[in-house]
Amino acid sequence: MRAYRLEVNGDKIEIAAPEHWTLLEVLRYKLGLTGTKQGCDKGDCGACTVLVDGEPELACLLLPGAVEGKKILTIEGLAPAHRCRGGEGADPIQESFDEAGALQCGFCQPGVMLSARALLNREPHPSCEQIADSLSGNLCRCTGYKQIYDAVEAAADKEAELKTQGAD
Amino acid sequence: MEYPTTVEDAVALLAKHGDRAMFLAGGTDLLPNMKHGLFEPEVVIGLGAIEDMKGIRKDKDGSLHIGAMTSLTEVARSQLITEAAPALAQAASVVAGPQIRNMGTLGGNVMLDTRCQWYNQSHFWRKSLGYCLKKDGTVCHVIEGGKKCVAAASNDTAPALMTLAAELHFLSPSGEVALPIEELWKADGTWNKNVGPDALLVSVHLPALSGPHGGAYLKLRERNAIDFPQLGIAARLGFAEDGSIFEAAVAATALGPRPILLQSTTKLLAGTTPGESNFEEALLELCAKAHKQLSPLANIPGDETYRKRMVPIFLKRALVLAAQP
Amino acid sequence: MAARDLHGPDAPWGDFGVVGQRNRKVDGMDKATGCAIYADDIQLPGMLYAKTLRSPHAHALIRSIDTAKAEALPGVYAVLVGDELPIPYGVIPWTQDEHVLAVEKVRFIGDEVAAVAAVDEDTANAALELIEVEYKPLRAFFDAEEALSNPEPAIHTSKKDVGNLSKHVRLEFGEVDAAAQSADILIDEEYSFHSTTHAAIEPHCAVAQCSPDGKLTLWSSTQITHYVHRALSRVLELEPEKIRVIQPYLGGAFGGKSDPFSLEFIVSALARKTGRPVKLLWTREEVFYAHRGRHAMKMKYRTSAQADGRITSVDANILIDGGSYSSFGLVTTYYSGQLLTGPYDFPSYRFDSTRVFTNKPPCGPKRGHGSVQPRFAFESQLDEVATKLGIDPIEIRRKNFQGDFTKTVNAQRITSNGFLACLDSVERGSDWKNKHGQLPLGRGLGVAGSMYISGTNYPVYPNEMPQAGIQLQVDRSGIVTVFTGANDIGQGSNTMIATVVAEELGLDIRNIRVISADTDLCPVDLGAYSSRITFMVGNACIDAARKLRTQIVGAVASEWDVDARRVSMMGGKVFDLEDSQRVIPSRDAFQIAEAQLETLGATGSYNTPTLGGDYRGGTIGASPAYSFTAHVADVSVDTETGRITCNKVWIAHDCGRALNPMLVEGQMEGSAYMGVAEALMEDHHMNRFGLHAGPSLLDYRIPTSCDTPELESIIVESIDPEGPYGAKEAGEGPLHPAIPAIANAVYDAVGIRLRHLPFTPGKVLEALDAKC
Repeated sequence: MRAYRLEVNGDKIEIAAPEHWTLLEVLRYKLGLTGTKQGCDKGDCGACTVLVDGEPELACLLLPGAVEGKKILTIEGLAPAHRCRGGEGADPIQESFDEAGALQCGFCQPGVMLSARALLNREPHPSCEQIADSLSGNLCRCTGYKQIYDAVEAAADKEAELKTQGAD
Repeated sequence: MEYPTTVEDAVALLAKHGDRAMFLAGGTDLLPNMKHGLFEPEVVIGLGAIEDMKGIRKDKDGSLHIGAMTSLTEVARSQLITEAAPALAQAASVVAGPQIRNMGTLGGNVMLDTRCQWYNQSHFWRKSLGYCLKKDGTVCHVIEGGKKCVAAASNDTAPALMTLAAELHFLSPSGEVALPIEELWKADGTWNKNVGPDALLVSVHLPALSGPHGGAYLKLRERNAIDFPQLGIAARLGFAEDGSIFEAAVAATALGPRPILLQSTTKLLAGTTPGESNFEEALLELCAKAHKQLSPLANIPGDETYRKRMVPIFLKRALVLAAQP
Repeated sequence: MAARDLHGPDAPWGDFGVVGQRNRKVDGMDKATGCAIYADDIQLPGMLYAKTLRSPHAHALIRSIDTAKAEALPGVYAVLVGDELPIPYGVIPWTQDEHVLAVEKVRFIGDEVAAVAAVDEDTANAALELIEVEYKPLRAFFDAEEALSNPEPAIHTSKKDVGNLSKHVRLEFGEVDAAAQSADILIDEEYSFHSTTHAAIEPHCAVAQCSPDGKLTLWSSTQITHYVHRALSRVLELEPEKIRVIQPYLGGAFGGKSDPFSLEFIVSALARKTGRPVKLLWTREEVFYAHRGRHAMKMKYRTSAQADGRITSVDANILIDGGSYSSFGLVTTYYSGQLLTGPYDFPSYRFDSTRVFTNKPPCGPKRGHGSVQPRFAFESQLDEVATKLGIDPIEIRRKNFQGDFTKTVNAQRITSNGFLACLDSVERGSDWKNKHGQLPLGRGLGVAGSMYISGTNYPVYPNEMPQAGIQLQVDRSGIVTVFTGANDIGQGSNTMIATVVAEELGLDIRNIRVISADTDLCPVDLGAYSSRITFMVGNACIDAARKLRTQIVGAVASEWDVDARRVSMMGGKVFDLEDSQRVIPSRDAFQIAEAQLETLGATGSYNTPTLGGDYRGGTIGASPAYSFTAHVADVSVDTETGRITCNKVWIAHDCGRALNPMLVEGQMEGSAYMGVAEALMEDHHMNRFGLHAGPSLLDYRIPTSCDTPELESIIVESIDPEGPYGAKEAGEGPLHPAIPAIANAVYDAVGIRLRHLPFTPGKVLEALDAKC
């Protein structure tokens, strides 16, 4: 066992876990944050994507010790963070995925949504190509990606609108 | 798990633990390999906390210094690199997928373990096979009766760095070593490097190039993301003031255990001018030569006959791209 | 009485209120926020972890198994071997040839031999290493022809008299040979389809808990709760009333979670043995061994036609590589022939299909079960007929259209049929008339069509009970809860159910709760396979909700003292059609009805009419309604690299009526994507040792966002007379045409016919070389 000090979804947590466990196992089986999914456990599918200091990384290939001192955001933290910023409902990404029908089985989508969140943080008005590139490490087996693209574009529009309203 | 904060500490820690320890850069290759039982280090020395190993800077002499722990994403997006070493930026941008490029590092990609369809599998799978030469076994399944492992160098950045004549700076218990990248490799798939596992790649240096240059990296893969290369070809062309080529370099990966720098490319292409027939003719000759010299093996997924057939085509296309400075 | 086609396709109250809307899914926000609990998300107090030992041999007798050392390992609670569960199972009652763990022999590399429950996965894995198994290897077959021509050693010894034959079906309708002899044109070619697998992103997982009084609860990532329930009862020799099976949120299935799987029995048996909850999560590699994916088929097709393009006969000879067990193979063998007889009229038709056992992971049902492979061959061949006769490929499909409300050559009943509208839509969408045959070398368009079942009238075990059942519960708060045995596997069946009930009761869809796939709580439904849920469960929902509507309307009418025909329900309100002032919220209407009558509720059910041809196997493939699809694919072929890029697919699909167009489009796009992937990339391939060549999502290449073509969905609504509001299936049909459409587009682009899947660049170059 090894003790870790992690910052997950804004909470500072001390947790002990077997030394060979990855961040994915710690999140899922120690912290109960089961929204981060395991699809392959070998870095091939992207279902376990979390944001580490704002960038998408694969929890199944991260040793928890390597992310001590960094900010980890999982799907469970997305809506609360949006609410902390004074937003309504869930994060615009989550709302748009729901509205566009992008959530079929929903298993890969926590990872997809976090990759999309990181993209919009970096590039508020992404091109189709940028969206495809940014999501190319997240395999989805249900949608054929079309409704995901629609959702990301809608979220970008929604956020632009919110920004305009904020400026008023 | 150890997380040293200086390169000296990292090297000392590895020396202390010896064979039981391994360096961990981004972990995107080591962790899957550990899960497959290919490596079973008792101590993992994480390099993520060593700030000196990160970042890209231009030195006074115009050379580029890239910390080995700089992420592939940063290498791909860096303006310094896209301008001075476009082949490297392109190579970094097509490694695996976005998350792995965020985690994976340039140093990790250079030092990547070789890959083989008979090797990069779970313990159950390899046990059912009866293992292979590279790990736990005595038989090579790529070349029947083969006595030497021919697992493939699969790093995208290696050929790009070879065309840029990169110099690698290692720190090992016996001191600092600067090695031209061509001298790093040897034709042994079990460990295809001329430095030991106790040597830490600290940084990569790209010497300043005189005059305008063009570069490109083309990768053969089945999917446009995630996949390792089934063939990777990098090209670099240096141009004289009149637009003619004065130097040329071509390197390839995903063949056998070593990435290969093609010889006498400058001799063939120097003096020719892209857009003119002398360039076209030299190009054809070079492609034919490459087709003879570069032979992919049946080591990684992807039919080797097809991969060989693609050598001249990818080379031609890479050179045409590199000819557009 | 089980109800059917009593309701008609229209809303008796005029315009639809909920049907046809692009409503959010009822479970969308749970999925968006990470709250949705999938099987592996379940953590129970004191839970143990199971792992299975697998065979390293492709075909071997088990001489002995010694588990003593494993049992002695600290942290190990129980070890399970095959002899402890000797009753065989299998989804089709006539071909039960699987055991939870191997009994006497193993049949492929990865076949399961023993299981361990331990305090954690590491301990369980360590215990597996301590189990000693002595094998006697047998000759293994990796090729269907080789297995068929060598009856010994038989992979299934109980089938000794038939060697390695799994199933043979030969059916002939009309005078095939005579028609062929007198035809103007005859095309005779061989085609092959490789094996592909589902690769749902969620690996299979099961958790079981057994209470001290013997009640067993199983949570499993299954798409057919009911069959798992039955199989568990049989194999564990436990009364069904002591077993509860629950399907939690499911991370994709595509047919790959249809069979009862070993892990469900293993966790159940280990939970009974240890008295503690047990979980088993398969690794990605194990999912590839479980497989049940698309059968590889070698197909010979001979199509004859008149000079005007009219087909006169189709003759098919199909060799099916079944892998090591039967699974749904009996059905697959029939489907490979039975489901080809639309949307075109075949005056005569013969198929001869042979399924063979081999020592490879067992094949089963994958999206478009049994019919995707023949569809590829036939639609390719039809294109060839068109080319040879100088007829436009879309025109030849129009010319052979079978029509609606007709019978197929194999006596299947066709009701609504929107195939012509599908062809029109993709022709227009793709600008076919200006592009087909006119694009520069290396770019081309191809067309293909298909049909698929909306459920089948034949449950896998014959019985007279309803195929779909629904219960409704009304709450005074204004909420209606629907209980259904149907499995929402991501396709959105719970949302479809909520849509229908909300429509019927005039409620906001957000006020419908759906409790699904829990055998203790929900009436039986046969589950998510054969694209049956919308048609069957949708009808059962109408059946239940309309009874309830009558009760509520009657009660309110009585309260208002008006004729019931004046009272309507819509938009969360109940109102008087003749007095716009008289409006009450649905909640109040529920309370009025409850006060007048009793606690409110209703049940509904659905059964198919009697269908199918009057011959052996004539009911297999008989469906109450068929969906129809046409695709046009736009491809580029790089003649130097041989690489095919599919740029775009126009997908026109006749789904009867789109109950929620957003969900229908999702199914169409997901299906087309999967077809493109099978054509160009995916290959479930065993190497020369019988080992899966790459049991990972790295080596089994499913397309990324950068590999998927642009997809344009065009919904065609033919309004079926018997579907719920006229709806038919949408989840499987739209996969079929993608593959032949790409093959035909490649012909348009570079003039080569690709008859052997997958279309690798190497094969393209080979064909281009041969052409030069």
